[in-house]
Amino acid sequence: MVKFPILLDIYQRGEGPLKRVERISLPEAGDYAIGRLDENQIVLDTPEVSKRHALLVVREDGMAVSDRGSTNRTYIGDSEVDTSPWDGGLPIRIAQFEIHLVPQTISGAETRVNTPNENATRAVSGGATTATPAPAPAPRGQSIEVALNAANAPSEMRFPRNVFKSEIVSAAEIKSSEYFAGEYTYLTVGGGLGSFVWADHLRIFGVGTGDIRAIGDDVIPYANYQRLCRNSQIPPHERLRSNSQSTPDNIWGFPGYASRETWKDLKEFRFGSLKYIFQVFGEASLAQTFTPRSGEVFKSIDKEAQRIGWRDMLTYGRVVGIRKTNDERYAVAFRVPEDQARGGVRERIMIGKFLHIATGYPATRFTGDLQAFKARYPEEARVFNAYENHEVVYRTIESSQAPASIVVRGRGIVASRIIQRLYEAREKNKGITVIHQMRNPIGPKEGYRYKGAQRYVYNHIENQAFNWPKACWGGQLLRETERATPEERVKIYEALGGTTTADRRDWRNIIQLGIGDGWYKPVFGHFETLELVKTDQGPKIQMKLKAQGNQPAVEVVADYVVDCTGLIGDITHSPLLRDLAETYKLPRNLGVGGGKIGGIFVTPDFEIAALRNGSGRAYAAGQITLGGPQPGVDTFLGMQYSALRSVDHLAVLGAPNVSLFGPLRSFSQWIKWCTNATP
Amino acid sequence: MVPTLKGRWATRILLFLWIGVPVTFLFSLIVAGPRSPTLPLLGWHYDILPFQILSLLLIVGLILDPVYFYIQQFRWEKDWPFAFQFFVTIIEFVIVLGLVWWGVLDFSRPRSQLHGTENYLLYTIHFACVFIPSFIALLGLIQIFMIRWRFKSGEWGRM
Ligand SMILES: Cc1cc2nc3c(=O)[nH]c(=O)nc-3n(C[C@H](O)[C@H](O)[C@H](O)COP(=O)(O)OP(=O)(O)OC[C@H]3O[C@@H](n4cnc5c(N)ncnc54)[C@H](O)[C@@H]3O)c2cc1C
Repeated sequence: MVKFPILLDIYQRGEGPLKRVERISLPEAGDYAIGRLDENQIVLDTPEVSKRHALLVVREDGMAVSDRGSTNRTYIGDSEVDTSPWDGGLPIRIAQFEIHLVPQTISGAETRVNTPNENATRAVSGGATTATPAPAPAPRGQSIEVALNAANAPSEMRFPRNVFKSEIVSAAEIKSSEYFAGEYTYLTVGGGLGSFVWADHLRIFGVGTGDIRAIGDDVIPYANYQRLCRNSQIPPHERLRSNSQSTPDNIWGFPGYASRETWKDLKEFRFGSLKYIFQVFGEASLAQTFTPRSGEVFKSIDKEAQRIGWRDMLTYGRVVGIRKTNDERYAVAFRVPEDQARGGVRERIMIGKFLHIATGYPATRFTGDLQAFKARYPEEARVFNAYENHEVVYRTIESSQAPASIVVRGRGIVASRIIQRLYEAREKNKGITVIHQMRNPIGPKEGYRYKGAQRYVYNHIENQAFNWPKACWGGQLLRETERATPEERVKIYEALGGTTTADRRDWRNIIQLGIGDGWYKPVFGHFETLELVKTDQGPKIQMKLKAQGNQPAVEVVADYVVDCTGLIGDITHSPLLRDLAETYKLPRNLGVGGGKIGGIFVTPDFEIAALRNGSGRAYAAGQITLGGPQPGVDTFLGMQYSALRSVDHLAVLGAPNVSLFGPLRSFSQWIKWCTNATP
Repeated sequence: MVPTLKGRWATRILLFLWIGVPVTFLFSLIVAGPRSPTLPLLGWHYDILPFQILSLLLIVGLILDPVYFYIQQFRWEKDWPFAFQFFVTIIEFVIVLGLVWWGVLDFSRPRSQLHGTENYLLYTIHFACVFIPSFIALLGLIQIFMIRWRFKSGEWGRM
């Protein structure tokens, strides 16, 4: 039961910690509109907020949030929501604002009702617009319980449900509606690297730009990837984690990044980079594995995007729904941002014969204790996921000489990179210490085992060049996983899996140095509680660590926590995929780790078989297919593989202009690539 | 490319046909002059000895491939660095030289035309002429023509 009035705190995220800009009070049940325009009940006045951004539905029995087709979307915690119940446990996030529910024991002395102000945030709660307010029930418990059915929210009326009324929609109806935005043979959803690589294959196999459309919310195909790299501290000169021949800009994988880097230097009579050739020759046994610089990869993609005419194929928009049509095709509903709509309708529908879905990671993962800390101390910018912008940490610790301790959680590649970054920060402040939190110790002989081989362990961290063993991208492991039944496959993945980092000499040296100089310390266990405590040096985070077995609990006090345990792969965190999976009962892969569910089930050709629509075909790529026939789906090479498989599949079906791509065509297209001629 | 056993065999045969045979043919035209016996083909005289050596290389390689594949099983990544292939191919050639020295080809011509430093030097030059382009092909030239080869663990054909 909801107790009225409801108090909401609105925080604004700036450079530093979250700042509370407003406390508002909702006196009664109703639909509270959130947006930039004054007509909203809760006005958030910055350009990143859409005019009519979201709706907060408040009833006696609970609350719900629904996005109204905003450009920058609405989140609860870190999950993007379309329509979702809200229990106040996690904040609602809109652009740089966070809306927190104030626990009802706290009295709202500074509550503002009905008074607009000059702040960026103006919150007005003059009552509900549409719903009939009911008298608030007598307050009972202390907390708000939610038993709201998402269907209570008025979503059937909203785009695209107003058009997508059934599993199969009428193409003729869409074509005669105001939403219709064209029909194409090939449509790819996402517009990220997965979409780009797929479109690149189609172009090179013979399809013209006029037949392909990519719908995504970034013009640059690597925009999202670059953002994640930047946040996790991989600047352009740092090296990535893929090999020389994983080339999203070149479908052949030749010349690889190593030979290109060498060639570039040789032309200037510099011979140092001949070592890259040696690296590729000797990796991983005689030399450290070669990996390209992120900046070089981005540049190469820019060039290829130019060559294949990516800008002509890209349509800017956020896809909100996909349905089969009654003429063996697919309808893709999307919204364009206000500034791109040029006065036209923002809601649009495109129709395509062959569909490809590559929407990347559904969300960032926040482990429970971090979530709880953030909810309790929203003004303390102290705990971060490594994939979100946390520059403030480095800026703060580098700008003073005060001792600062940072907990780095996890033992994957991002953790290694963050530790490297903190090592660099120590150049400016010798008071920085690193507490590396890992779940459990791993002895040198305790690495994962699979068929007569064991993984190398160093300093409690499993080492592996890439996120899967090399033979997972072509080789016996790929063969095994493709042929396995889903149950056998999970067993293989469990045997091969587990977090790893790359075996980089510099990283090993940093840890050695850190242990020697006493500024690096590994701790084992998981945190039970995170508390804010006052100390002589100001507020700090105090953590109780539950160790494995009968080890005594450990207490850690630190200034910051950077969680490097990853991104969320669960497709239900994406409203688009959740709706698609529910509507067509898409089978899912089995997930690693008992009972979990993996990505969307695809065939070895990466077809989503359950979406087949007569002669229409739908494919998927990337993280959203995790746990299927190919292990390394979320990698450059994995995306090249899935694109090749699905485009080959189209060629055999006789899809328009897709050639069989034999040796001669392959060679002549490769020459075109080398001379930068359009395919 | 990370090979499987079938992929190893397929790639070996592919390189034999694409690079080994044409290179050996050219080579045998050049060495045919001062040596005998030679065979005529379209008026050209060439020596079959280089073909015999090439075939021995192929056979030794095909026999050793399962051994490499077995060793690969003890590697966590189930991979086979280029450097390994480089060194084992040289070992294969040394084995072929040993076989010739031991007399596997003695049935075909007088010993003086098979043995001796001068002949062994010629075999080494021939091997280098075949090996270097084959290795370059392995490093990347094959996939320019056969885009699926690297994902098919070295086998040819479609997915
Ligand atoms: C930090 C980091 C480093 C990595 N390093 C490597 C590496 O070195 N080598 C390697 O091989 N792999 C690496 N990967 C893995 C992988 O290659 C990248 O994540 C890659 O970007 C995945 O491509 P994608 O197309 O699946 O997703 P993305 O490139 O993220 O593209 C998906 C796009 O879809 C958009 N989208 C999502 N939903 C919708 C919707 N409803 N409507 C419209 N658009 C939507 C997103 O905004 C995004 O732009 C790395 C990943 C991370 C996070």
